[in-house]
Amino acid sequence: MNGWLLTAGVVLAAGGAAALLGVATGPLRRRVVAQNLLTALACPGLLLLAQAYDRPSYVDVALVLALLGPVGTLVFARLLADELAADPPRARTLTWAAAGLGAAVVVVLCAAVGPSRAMVKLLVTGALLIVGNVIASHALSGGFPGESR
Amino acid sequence: MIVVALLLVAACATTAVLVRDPVHQALVLAVLGTVLAVLFTVLQAPDVALSQLAVGSALTPLLMLLAVRKVKRPRRHKGDER
Amino acid sequence: MRRRTVLALAEFLIWWAALLALWLVLVSAVDTLELAVGAGAAGLGALAATAARRAVTAP
Repeated sequence: MNGWLLTAGVVLAAGGAAALLGVATGPLRRRVVAQNLLTALACPGLLLLAQAYDRPSYVDVALVLALLGPVGTLVFARLLADELAADPPRARTLTWAAAGLGAAVVVVLCAAVGPSRAMVKLLVTGALLIVGNVIASHALSGGFPGESR
Repeated sequence: MIVVALLLVAACATTAVLVRDPVHQALVLAVLGTVLAVLFTVLQAPDVALSQLAVGSALTPLLMLLAVRKVKRPRRHKGDER
Repeated sequence: MRRRTVLALAEFLIWWAALLALWLVLVSAVDTLELAVGAGAAGLGALAATAARRAVTAP
């Protein structure tokens, strides 16, 4: 049991439990925010797992999650637009906290990997994660009114 | 680590069964898909995790929400062609 | 007219270079075959990206 695995376990357990609690109870606006945040928390967890198992190819899973997670959230934002417009979710603090956690994990992993192609891949993953989550969160809070037809 | 992932999957699946509203169920299913992908990664099967992510986190909720929409729509617009 | 052609070509080349760089970052080992396949795939992607950009920002 090394430190990477322990950190990944803590991030995944805390994030998963919080997201499950948020998604199982409360009004609809809290549920969509919790679903969005799980993506933002599971992706750093997967990156830490890749480092813990010393398998750089596991980074692919985190990369795909960073790409597809916001897509899933955008599906909800588009198809639940009517319900969400009446009661728009506000989660700016949570979104930026999750983005900060992702950025911190990526920076620490970059320092551990050292300058190489793997580091660029990590940076691409982190950028995708943060940009995707901010866009998805913005869409959830009705940020693109012209788009909801 | 395996125990943590297994517990999360079990809790998510139980919640998905217990939640009644289909829209809320779609949200829980999206969470379940992501957690399952984590479980597969922990079990050293990243290829399965990749396909699980593609199907579980985007496609299943999309299909469910589209079905819910289709079922709800005729009630609101009676006589509409769709 | 001529200026527009040069601009379109420059856009295509920028897309191609960016996509080729992304390919080379994501593959596991860089060698000649990967470079050739990546150049081809980046060319296709750049064509699609240019067409999509043109469709979105239609005059």
